[in-house]
Amino acid sequence: MRKWFKPISLATVILTGMLLIYGIHDMPSWGDPNSPANRHISPRYITEATRKTATPNIVSAVLGDYRSYDTLGESAVIFTASISCLFLLRRIRRQGNHDD
Amino acid sequence: MTEYILAKYNFWIYVVLMMIGLYAMMGKRNLVKKLIGMNIFQTSIILLFVSAGVKKGGATVPILRHSDYGPEHVEHLIRVADYLNPLPHVLMLTAIVVSIATTGVALATLILIYKRYNTLEEDEIMAIRKDIRSYKTPRILRSKD
Repeated sequence: MRKWFKPISLATVILTGMLLIYGIHDMPSWGDPNSPANRHISPRYITEATRKTATPNIVSAVLGDYRSYDTLGESAVIFTASISCLFLLRRIRRQGNHDD
Repeated sequence: MTEYILAKYNFWIYVVLMMIGLYAMMGKRNLVKKLIGMNIFQTSIILLFVSAGVKKGGATVPILRHSDYGPEHVEHLIRVADYLNPLPHVLMLTAIVVSIATTGVALATLILIYKRYNTLEEDEIMAIRKDIRSYKTPRILRSKD
């Protein structure tokens, strides 16, 4: 089992890579201004964001205004990660004190 | 064939990067190498999304020029083709933050694993856990005696 683990994972990786390369066929070409991602909602952001939020930087206007709930959840993620890091690393220090 | 590859060569690079990360996560036994593989995987996804916002033909970063938002500005004068797509940048800002958070928690967990098992190799950890489950002295302690 151990001996076959690396060849099996290599075969899986190559198979997945071939599937993804097959999927490239459907992607729009690089830098196409009329690709679906560039046509859907970003024209509205570019033309309206500064007028509605008074921020010339469109990225921060979208981040802090249009998608502020997303940013709130993101800060919740950072908070959770920092709290869990704090608890994990504090346990080590206490164990170290007991050993001493 | 070469033309077909070169037309979308950025996607080929992302696929190769993503597969390097996937192989590092699946095939490697060292947990730190697995973590680095996860970071490479996330980086390839971030590059994929940022490349979805690229517009060729003179588009700049999505910060409005002064002539486009000054007091004399008329709304329909903003040309959408002048600015890159801001949405992938925003989403990837969030993704970078999440990847930093996961890396931090994973590194803290790795410190705990190292303190407990004195190794970061996955198969050694599994052997130690197997010994503990069958009420034997773990191999590492035996080799120390």
